[in-house]
Amino acid sequence: MRRGYNGCVQEIQSLIPLDPVIEAYKKDIDRTLLRENLRLTVEQRFENLMSLQDFVEELRKAGRKLHEDKLS
Amino acid sequence: MKTNFPELLRILSHEKVQFIVVGGAAGIAHGSAMITYDLDIVYDRSNENIARIVTALSEYSPYLRGAPPGLPFDWSDRTVKNGLNFTLTTSLGAIDILGEIAGGGNYDELLPEAGEIELYGINCLCLNLEKLILTKRAAGRAKDFNAIAELEALLEERAKHSDSY
Repeated sequence: MRRGYNGCVQEIQSLIPLDPVIEAYKKDIDRTLLRENLRLTVEQRFENLMSLQDFVEELRKAGRKLHEDKLS
Repeated sequence: MKTNFPELLRILSHEKVQFIVVGGAAGIAHGSAMITYDLDIVYDRSNENIARIVTALSEYSPYLRGAPPGLPFDWSDRTVKNGLNFTLTTSLGAIDILGEIAGGGNYDELLPEAGEIELYGINCLCLNLEKLILTKRAAGRAKDFNAIAELEALLEERAKHSDSY
Protein backbone atom coordinates (compact mmCIF):
# COMPACT_ATOMS: atom_id res chain seq x y z
CA MET A 1 0.00 0.00 0.00
CA ARG A 2 1.27 3.48 -0.85
CA ARG A 3 2.01 5.82 2.05
CA GLY A 4 0.81 9.01 0.33
CA TYR A 5 2.28 12.49 0.83
CA ASN A 6 1.35 12.80 4.53
CA GLY A 7 2.88 9.43 5.27
CA CYS A 8 6.08 10.45 3.49
CA VAL A 9 6.26 13.74 5.38
CA GLN A 10 5.79 11.94 8.71
CA GLU A 11 8.56 9.56 7.80
CA ILE A 12 10.86 12.46 6.85
CA GLN A 13 10.09 14.24 10.12
CA SER A 14 10.85 11.12 12.12
CA LEU A 15 14.30 11.06 10.50
CA ILE A 16 14.89 14.80 10.40
CA PRO A 17 13.10 16.73 13.15
CA LEU A 18 11.76 20.16 12.26
CA ASP A 19 14.09 23.07 12.94
CA PRO A 20 12.29 26.44 13.13
CA VAL A 21 15.30 28.31 11.71
CA ILE A 22 15.48 26.03 8.68
CA GLU A 23 11.68 26.24 8.28
CA ALA A 24 12.04 30.04 8.07
CA TYR A 25 14.67 29.71 5.34
CA LYS A 26 12.54 27.17 3.48
CA LYS A 27 9.88 29.78 2.72
CA ASP A 28 12.28 31.52 0.31
CA ILE A 29 13.34 28.43 -1.60
CA ASP A 30 12.37 28.51 -5.28
CA ARG A 31 10.73 25.10 -5.61
CA THR A 32 10.13 25.52 -9.34
CA LEU A 33 13.91 25.23 -9.87
CA LEU A 34 14.00 22.09 -7.74
CA ARG A 35 11.12 20.51 -9.67
CA GLU A 36 12.94 21.26 -12.93
CA ASN A 37 16.11 19.67 -11.57
CA LEU A 38 14.29 16.59 -10.34
CA ARG A 39 13.16 15.93 -13.91
CA LEU A 40 16.80 15.82 -15.09
CA THR A 41 19.24 12.93 -14.94
CA VAL A 42 22.12 13.18 -12.44
CA GLU A 43 24.48 13.76 -15.37
CA GLN A 44 22.35 16.63 -16.72
CA ARG A 45 22.39 18.23 -13.24
CA PHE A 46 26.21 18.20 -13.29
CA GLU A 47 26.28 19.55 -16.87
CA ASN A 48 24.12 22.46 -15.67
CA LEU A 49 26.45 23.05 -12.73
CA MET A 50 29.49 23.24 -15.01
CA SER A 51 27.69 25.61 -17.42
CA LEU A 52 26.85 27.77 -14.40
CA GLN A 53 30.52 27.74 -13.36
CA ASP A 54 31.46 28.97 -16.87
CA PHE A 55 28.84 31.70 -16.66
CA VAL A 56 30.07 32.85 -13.23
CA GLU A 57 33.62 33.00 -14.58
CA GLU A 58 32.47 35.14 -17.52
CA LEU A 59 30.59 37.46 -15.16
CA ARG A 60 33.70 37.84 -12.99
CA LYS A 61 35.84 38.65 -16.04
CA ALA A 62 33.30 41.24 -17.18
CA GLY A 63 33.18 42.74 -13.68
CA ARG A 64 36.98 42.96 -13.50
CA LYS A 65 37.10 44.63 -16.93
CA LEU A 66 34.46 47.15 -15.91
CA HIS A 67 36.45 47.99 -12.78
CA GLU A 68 39.70 48.36 -14.75
CA ASP A 69 38.00 50.55 -17.39
CA LYS A 70 36.71 52.83 -14.63
CA LEU A 71 40.21 53.18 -13.18
CA SER A 72 41.90 53.97 -16.53
CA MET B 1 38.60 27.92 -11.75
CA LYS B 2 36.06 25.51 -13.16
CA THR B 3 36.09 22.07 -11.56
CA ASN B 4 36.15 19.20 -14.02
CA PHE B 5 33.83 16.85 -12.12
CA PRO B 6 33.75 14.10 -14.79
CA GLU B 7 37.53 13.94 -15.04
CA LEU B 8 38.05 13.95 -11.26
CA LEU B 9 35.57 11.09 -10.92
CA ARG B 10 37.19 9.26 -13.82
CA ILE B 11 40.71 9.35 -12.32
CA LEU B 12 39.45 8.25 -8.89
CA SER B 13 37.46 5.44 -10.43
CA HIS B 14 40.36 4.42 -12.69
CA GLU B 15 42.56 3.90 -9.61
CA LYS B 16 39.69 2.09 -7.85
CA VAL B 17 39.66 4.61 -4.99
CA GLN B 18 36.93 3.83 -2.46
CA PHE B 19 35.06 7.04 -1.78
CA ILE B 20 31.62 8.56 -1.21
CA VAL B 21 30.56 11.84 -2.81
CA VAL B 22 29.30 14.22 -0.09
CA GLY B 23 28.74 17.97 0.33
CA GLY B 24 27.63 20.29 -2.44
CA ALA B 25 28.31 17.82 -5.25
CA ALA B 26 26.08 15.25 -3.53
CA GLY B 27 23.46 18.00 -3.27
CA ILE B 28 23.72 18.54 -7.04
CA ALA B 29 23.29 14.82 -7.64
CA HIS B 30 20.06 14.96 -5.61
CA GLY B 31 18.74 18.00 -7.52
CA SER B 32 20.09 21.05 -5.67
CA ALA B 33 20.12 24.27 -7.71
CA MET B 34 23.02 25.75 -5.74
CA ILE B 35 26.40 26.23 -7.32
CA THR B 36 29.41 24.46 -5.87
CA TYR B 37 33.03 24.74 -6.88
CA ASP B 38 34.57 21.63 -5.41
CA LEU B 39 34.16 17.89 -5.26
CA ASP B 40 33.91 16.68 -1.65
CA ILE B 41 34.61 13.03 -1.02
CA VAL B 42 34.94 10.89 2.09
CA TYR B 43 37.62 8.26 1.48
CA ASP B 44 38.40 4.92 3.10
CA ARG B 45 41.49 5.36 5.32
CA SER B 46 43.01 1.93 4.64
CA ASN B 47 46.65 1.98 3.56
CA GLU B 48 45.74 0.51 0.17
CA ASN B 49 43.11 3.14 -0.51
CA ILE B 50 45.37 5.99 0.60
CA ALA B 51 47.98 4.71 -1.88
CA ARG B 52 45.31 4.68 -4.62
CA ILE B 53 44.15 8.22 -3.90
CA VAL B 54 47.72 9.51 -3.86
CA THR B 55 48.40 7.84 -7.22
CA ALA B 56 45.13 9.11 -8.70
CA LEU B 57 45.84 12.77 -7.96
CA SER B 58 49.63 12.88 -8.19
CA GLU B 59 49.71 13.83 -11.89
CA TYR B 60 47.35 16.75 -11.32
CA SER B 61 49.50 19.01 -9.12
CA PRO B 62 47.62 18.68 -5.82
CA TYR B 63 48.33 21.56 -3.48
CA LEU B 64 46.76 22.93 -0.30
CA ARG B 65 43.98 25.32 -1.27
CA GLY B 66 44.50 28.83 0.05
CA ALA B 67 48.11 28.19 1.09
CA PRO B 68 50.78 30.59 -0.21
CA PRO B 69 52.48 29.25 -3.32
CA GLY B 70 55.86 27.60 -2.91
CA LEU B 71 55.31 25.80 0.39
CA PRO B 72 57.00 22.38 0.53
CA PHE B 73 53.84 20.30 0.25
CA ASP B 74 54.59 16.64 -0.33
CA TRP B 75 51.63 14.75 -1.77
CA SER B 76 52.41 11.25 -0.54
CA ASP B 77 50.96 8.30 1.35
CA ARG B 78 52.78 9.55 4.45
CA THR B 79 51.20 13.00 4.24
CA VAL B 80 47.70 11.56 3.85
CA LYS B 81 48.25 9.04 6.67
CA ASN B 82 49.47 11.81 8.98
CA GLY B 83 46.51 14.04 8.16
CA LEU B 84 42.80 13.44 7.80
CA ASN B 85 40.98 16.10 5.80
CA PHE B 86 42.64 17.90 2.88
CA THR B 87 41.23 20.80 0.90
CA LEU B 88 43.18 20.73 -2.35
CA THR B 89 43.50 22.51 -5.63
CA THR B 90 44.47 20.41 -8.62
CA SER B 91 44.82 21.09 -12.32
CA LEU B 92 41.32 19.56 -12.65
CA GLY B 93 39.81 21.87 -10.03
CA ALA B 94 39.14 21.86 -6.32
CA ILE B 95 38.68 18.63 -4.38
CA ASP B 96 38.20 18.05 -0.66
CA ILE B 97 39.50 14.69 0.51
CA LEU B 98 37.83 13.99 3.83
CA GLY B 99 38.66 11.21 6.28
CA GLU B 100 35.49 12.00 8.20
CA ILE B 101 32.70 14.56 8.35
CA ALA B 102 30.69 16.06 11.21
CA GLY B 103 27.48 14.18 11.87
CA GLY B 104 28.47 11.35 9.57
CA GLY B 105 31.78 9.92 10.65
CA ASN B 106 34.17 8.03 8.43
CA TYR B 107 33.82 6.02 5.22
CA ASP B 108 32.67 2.81 6.93
CA GLU B 109 30.09 4.67 9.00
CA LEU B 110 28.72 6.46 5.93
CA LEU B 111 28.66 3.41 3.68
CA PRO B 112 25.17 2.21 4.76
CA GLU B 113 23.87 5.72 3.98
CA ALA B 114 25.31 5.84 0.46
CA GLY B 115 23.74 4.81 -2.81
CA GLU B 116 25.28 4.11 -6.19
CA ILE B 117 24.87 6.71 -8.92
CA GLU B 118 26.03 6.54 -12.51
CA LEU B 119 27.73 9.67 -13.72
CA TYR B 120 29.54 9.99 -17.06
CA GLY B 121 29.58 6.22 -17.32
CA ILE B 122 31.20 5.87 -13.90
CA ASN B 123 29.46 4.18 -11.00
CA CYS B 124 30.23 5.90 -7.73
CA LEU B 125 28.75 6.14 -4.27
CA CYS B 126 26.85 9.24 -3.19
CA LEU B 127 25.54 10.05 0.28
CA ASN B 128 21.76 9.80 0.44
CA LEU B 129 19.72 12.98 0.78
CA GLU B 130 18.53 12.32 4.34
CA LYS B 131 22.06 11.77 5.66
CA LEU B 132 23.39 14.72 3.66
CA ILE B 133 20.88 16.95 5.47
CA LEU B 134 21.86 15.51 8.85
CA THR B 135 25.58 16.06 8.19
CA LYS B 136 24.99 19.66 7.13
CA ARG B 137 22.84 20.21 10.22
CA ALA B 138 25.58 18.70 12.40
CA ALA B 139 28.18 21.04 10.89
CA GLY B 140 26.08 23.88 12.35
CA ARG B 141 27.42 26.56 10.00
CA ALA B 142 25.19 29.58 9.44
CA LYS B 143 26.25 29.65 5.78
CA ASP B 144 24.63 26.22 5.34
CA PHE B 145 21.15 27.22 6.55
CA ASN B 146 19.94 28.06 3.06
CA ALA B 147 21.46 24.88 1.62
CA ILE B 148 19.82 22.74 4.34
CA ALA B 149 16.47 24.41 3.68
CA GLU B 150 16.85 23.65 -0.03
CA LEU B 151 17.79 20.00 0.59
CA GLU B 152 14.82 19.55 2.92
CA ALA B 153 12.57 21.14 0.31
CA LEU B 154 13.97 18.63 -2.22
CA LEU B 155 13.08 15.79 0.12
CA GLU B 156 9.54 17.14 0.43
CA GLU B 157 9.23 17.63 -3.34
CA ARG B 158 10.36 14.06 -3.94
CA ALA B 159 7.73 12.82 -1.48
CA LYS B 160 5.05 15.07 -2.98
CA HIS B 161 5.76 14.03 -6.56
CA SER B 162 6.98 10.49 -6.00
CA ASP B 163 5.10 9.39 -9.13
CA SER B 164 6.99 11.80 -11.35
CA TYR B 165 10.62 11.54 -10.17
